Amino acid sequence: MVEQLSPLGPVWKPGSYGNLSRGVGVTISEIRPGSIVEAAAWHGSEKKLIAAIAKVTGLKLPDGAGGGVFKNGKGAFGIAPTRFLLVDQAEGLAERLLTVVPVDMGSVVDLSHGRTAIRISGPKAEWVLSKFFAIDFSETAFPLGSGKATVYHDFFTQIQRTAPQAFDLYVFRSFARSFWQLLCHGAEDVGYEVF
Amino acid sequence: MSPRRSSAGGRVDRTRTIRFTFDGRSFTGHAGDTLASALLANGMTLFGRSFKYHRPRGVMTAGIDEPNALVTLLKGDIREPNIPVTEIEIYDGLNAVSQNRSPSLAFDVGAINQYAGKLISAGFYYKTFMGPVIGPLKGTRFWMFCERFIRRAAGLGHAGTTADTARYERMNAFCDVLVVGGGPAGLMAAKAAASDGARVIVADLEAAFGGTAKWSGDVIDGKPASEWAAELADELAGMENVRLLPRTTVWGYYDGNTLAALERVSDHKANPESGEPRHRHWTIRAKTVVLATGGFERPLIFPGNDIPGVMLAGAVERFAGEYGVLPGERIALFTNNDSAYAAAANLKRAGAMVVAIIDVRPEISAAARELASKAGAEVRLGQAVVAAEGGKALTGVKVRNFEAATGMISGDPASLAVDCLAVSGGWSPAVHLASQAGGKPEWDEALQAFLPPKPTQKWIGAGAFTGAATTASAIADGQRAGLKAAGILAQGKEKLPSVSEPALDPSPAPVLEVRAHGKAFVDFQHDVTADDVRLAHQEGFISVEHLKRYTTLGMATDQGKTSNVPGLAIMADARGLSIPQVGTTRFRPPFSAVSLGSVAGERVGHIRPDRLTPMHDWHVEQGARMYAAGLWYRPMIYGAPGETVEQAYVREAKAVRESVGIVDVSTLGKIAVQGPDAAEFLDRVYTNLFSTLPVGKARYGLMLREDGLAMDDGTTWRLGENDFLMTTTTANAGKVMQHLEYFLDVVWPELKVHVTSVSDQWAGAAVAGPKSRDVLAACVTGTKVDNETLPFMGIVHGEIDGVPVMICRLSFSGEMAFEVYCGAGYGLQVWEALIEAGKPFNIVPYGLEALGTLRIEKGHVTGAEIDGRTTARDLHLGWLLSKKKPFIGSAMMDREGFVAPTRLQLVGLVSLDGRPLTGGAHIVENGSAEQLGQSIGHITATCYSPALGKYIGLALVRDGKSRHGKRAVISDPLRDRFGPVEIVNHIFFDPDGSRMHG
Amino acid sequence: MLITCPYCGPRDLSEYTYQGDANRVRPDPASTDQAAWNDYVYDRINTAGEHREFWQHSGGCRAHLLVTRNTLTHAISFVGFAREHGEPKHLERRKGGKA
Repeated sequence: MVEQLSPLGPVWKPGSYGNLSRGVGVTISEIRPGSIVEAAAWHGSEKKLIAAIAKVTGLKLPDGAGGGVFKNGKGAFGIAPTRFLLVDQAEGLAERLLTVVPVDMGSVVDLSHGRTAIRISGPKAEWVLSKFFAIDFSETAFPLGSGKATVYHDFFTQIQRTAPQAFDLYVFRSFARSFWQLLCHGAEDVGYEVF
Repeated sequence: MSPRRSSAGGRVDRTRTIRFTFDGRSFTGHAGDTLASALLANGMTLFGRSFKYHRPRGVMTAGIDEPNALVTLLKGDIREPNIPVTEIEIYDGLNAVSQNRSPSLAFDVGAINQYAGKLISAGFYYKTFMGPVIGPLKGTRFWMFCERFIRRAAGLGHAGTTADTARYERMNAFCDVLVVGGGPAGLMAAKAAASDGARVIVADLEAAFGGTAKWSGDVIDGKPASEWAAELADELAGMENVRLLPRTTVWGYYDGNTLAALERVSDHKANPESGEPRHRHWTIRAKTVVLATGGFERPLIFPGNDIPGVMLAGAVERFAGEYGVLPGERIALFTNNDSAYAAAANLKRAGAMVVAIIDVRPEISAAARELASKAGAEVRLGQAVVAAEGGKALTGVKVRNFEAATGMISGDPASLAVDCLAVSGGWSPAVHLASQAGGKPEWDEALQAFLPPKPTQKWIGAGAFTGAATTASAIADGQRAGLKAAGILAQGKEKLPSVSEPALDPSPAPVLEVRAHGKAFVDFQHDVTADDVRLAHQEGFISVEHLKRYTTLGMATDQGKTSNVPGLAIMADARGLSIPQVGTTRFRPPFSAVSLGSVAGERVGHIRPDRLTPMHDWHVEQGARMYAAGLWYRPMIYGAPGETVEQAYVREAKAVRESVGIVDVSTLGKIAVQGPDAAEFLDRVYTNLFSTLPVGKARYGLMLREDGLAMDDGTTWRLGENDFLMTTTTANAGKVMQHLEYFLDVVWPELKVHVTSVSDQWAGAAVAGPKSRDVLAACVTGTKVDNETLPFMGIVHGEIDGVPVMICRLSFSGEMAFEVYCGAGYGLQVWEALIEAGKPFNIVPYGLEALGTLRIEKGHVTGAEIDGRTTARDLHLGWLLSKKKPFIGSAMMDREGFVAPTRLQLVGLVSLDGRPLTGGAHIVENGSAEQLGQSIGHITATCYSPALGKYIGLALVRDGKSRHGKRAVISDPLRDRFGPVEIVNHIFFDPDGSRMHG
Repeated sequence: MLITCPYCGPRDLSEYTYQGDANRVRPDPASTDQAAWNDYVYDRINTAGEHREFWQHSGGCRAHLLVTRNTLTHAISFVGFAREHGEPKHLERRKGGKA
């Protein structure tokens, strides 16, 4: 397959920046999963869709709003009633899902090109993200694996906690370059590393 | 060491000297000093000139309530005016200047104003400058003449004109308990609340936590209160679930227990660290708030009470206790309550000479007496200061007998030579945040103060905020509040620190004013005197809200922190009412001054995102001039060197008509519409039918709003039985998405349809021109692109350069054209492959200007014509209105006014004078620069048409269809463009569409 | 102002888009009763007090919510999904802009 071009272009500059006097506060990287897919069930078919997702990805989505799971580079989390965002390092997840999601169960949309995935990790990840988003990033309010959809001005973002100190952010591709710059700017006070 | 600085005590570090500049003079201070304490230690008493009368003013308080001593800070070219010296921590290189004086602080020509005091009393502006012109020195016109002189003479510091280069940021925080105020009550509340793991934030507006404990001289748990507080703050700082925010003013209490705070992160540093903001705005959402905001001491009102050297007693005590600075060599106190006695004793302990304590009360408590004797001060009961004397510094006070119950003054005056008078009019709890949260403060007769209202949001009060007068009660109160706020059941075994403090009487005498001859100030910053308040009463401005606006009492930067209650007391007295009967104004945010930068945050530069297409960098490299279309950046023209914009777009448009061009259309809104009811849904939202559209075909569609006016247009592609790809105009992508979501959620929840924005999933390139098919044929594999395989509005799937693509044959330019879509991450690769394949045909990339030119020639509409006022028929799109089904807008679109012949209809215009037309210009039947004429419509789009060799435009003209072939005139007085035009059909070029179907 | 989205929890006002009065009843799509359509499209009761209205959680799950908000105090007494609590069952409104 052909490789996707990163939307970050010249603003992606590996290295260490900002105030590093207290170490590296966060690491920021573009993770480039092969597949980003939105799957949505018709009302009443959520359980069936969750089972279908488990069948294809092996991920068992927990009940409840925003519930999610992240394992072996695969992720799934609720983004809206009956809707889930699914991520896989391998390409072709949308096609695989379509084989188990019939039209009377729900719909599948491939967003592998439409969303850019950015990971921010490190001891100051919550601090940096809190500069932008008015949501509670503490582990009690935002448990491991779960996700939230939120917005900072025009930046609509879906966020999954993929480790105690790591968040994967999904932004619209056309916004990615601006968002990346914003994130780096916001991380200057704690020192950040880009790779 | 300065003679005013004690050799020990306080939290300043006497081993560290800091150099700073005030009004161009060099001074030194110590680490831990504020500008106020450092200047006082240097013997400075004169800090500023007053707002209206230019009277000399000194520092009056030691905190955020300071009304007088405001300065301007200079940092490079940046100047920040009106900062209280009590709030400025000094650092090496600090540069401050005084305000509202000319030429200098010591000699100020504006001071003449104080002798014209009768002329410029309350209401001066209203009386002098409003209403009809009845003579040269009255009325609005006179104001216009005087304004510039008055603006220069009255006021505070002035703002700089250079852009503020400092960094600001915003922060969101969530917690179980927010403690506002880090004094003994607040610290105890935080400790109690945090003991069980609750997330706690403690904010204090000072640099160091401890509040009054920093200077009170009390003993807590056997140690000095300041030590106890510092240790407790350290303990809290070490807890993982506690965040301490020093230098942070909580200034707003909003709905949903949301609070706004300003953290002054690096104002106290010569240079901020890398990435460190100057100010940080905090939005804090707290489950429960503990308000431990303490109280403000009130001044007493008597003639000369603004002379430098007259200060609040608590402030004098604080300068001595916290900073080791004695504001005077001979200090007297003037009070209506016991708290000044504690201050006197503490001053004595710090080395001051306390000359006398003048008390309006005839009798005082035993504890107060004991403190007075500790202070070595003469106690003068039943007396009052009737005048403070001095010019730029206090030289003495006159004292006479005073009857507290009646305000009667009698006896011969005694003169006391003092250079500092510490006054106390009792204490007002800082109820501001509680008032902002909702609820009216309640008057307490015994404490002579407004106490916090009953909570209307989730907050609990503690300490002096509730009226508690002793440290012991504040500590107990704080612990109780902290436990309650965190939802911890008090077991009664929590140990309270022991406090040793004098047992003072918390009730002041109900006396705030001593009426004698001379100017007695109530609001120091706005120069409102007691007589001004009485004048307002006399002239009928008796409600507190009117009083405030008529006199400007409480409207200065300090928002009346010291003047509120004294002002009300004078008005109450004038009206013969009690203070609660007169009432108080509601406190509104902000509690104290907030920098605009912190509110704006980083809303410059990065904050406005640039939406970029996958081919953006290519466009820029090719020299495209980029154009901001909403958030998107799109090429306007790809200019060759030396080309004008017009030459460039004409060249580009011509290439499309003659051979082939390519344009980036990735910005179009794209929405996946999926589900078993998708076709039915589209039938309802579009005016035309989509259920009849075969798989593998696209159709042009129009959407109306509920009111029957046109909303948006675009093509929708049927990719599968239950799978559609809708395109919208770039500008309306978000609006259409929301429109669809609204109908699916609210109106037709039974429809099984999902809509998902896929605008960013697909890169799009339109290849247009007679050679476009040849270009595709040269690079597309996996499918044919001939007329049979790919007819007009047909869709095929294939590959370009190994990348899967979806191609739809549709045309915006009027030429044979194809839109090639691929995954956005492959967009550049496909684009470059198309350019490569187009080389033999001299393919030309074209921008928005050429795109616009081509569509104007074809009479295609965009947002300029679908402007929210036009109907489908106005735009000649009536053929899209299906009669077979209802659709959104169908019921309202045939209303009388929408079918009237006088409607503005889409027409074409041809310039008859060979000059460009101007967008937005009016069309008139007859008109000229002298005689503008009556508008019959306006121009929506203009260009030079290479196909016609003329300047043309589209316009919306009244009854336009019947005017084809007629002449009119454009009338554009703003741009001085007048001239004849011919009104023609809106389709200028290839009206039968043979070129795109060919 | 905070609105508690039934899916996302309490979120700041800036995440929401006001989507209009929820006291309206959309006439049958095929209806040509101009008075009914006029009521639906243009008439608002402008309540001083408890008001039913739609908000879209546009900066979150994008669901439309039915919110009952007191227009005098901003107090929100109810939030539910619009698809479950959408249009009022009965026309509980009087003409002439009075509640």
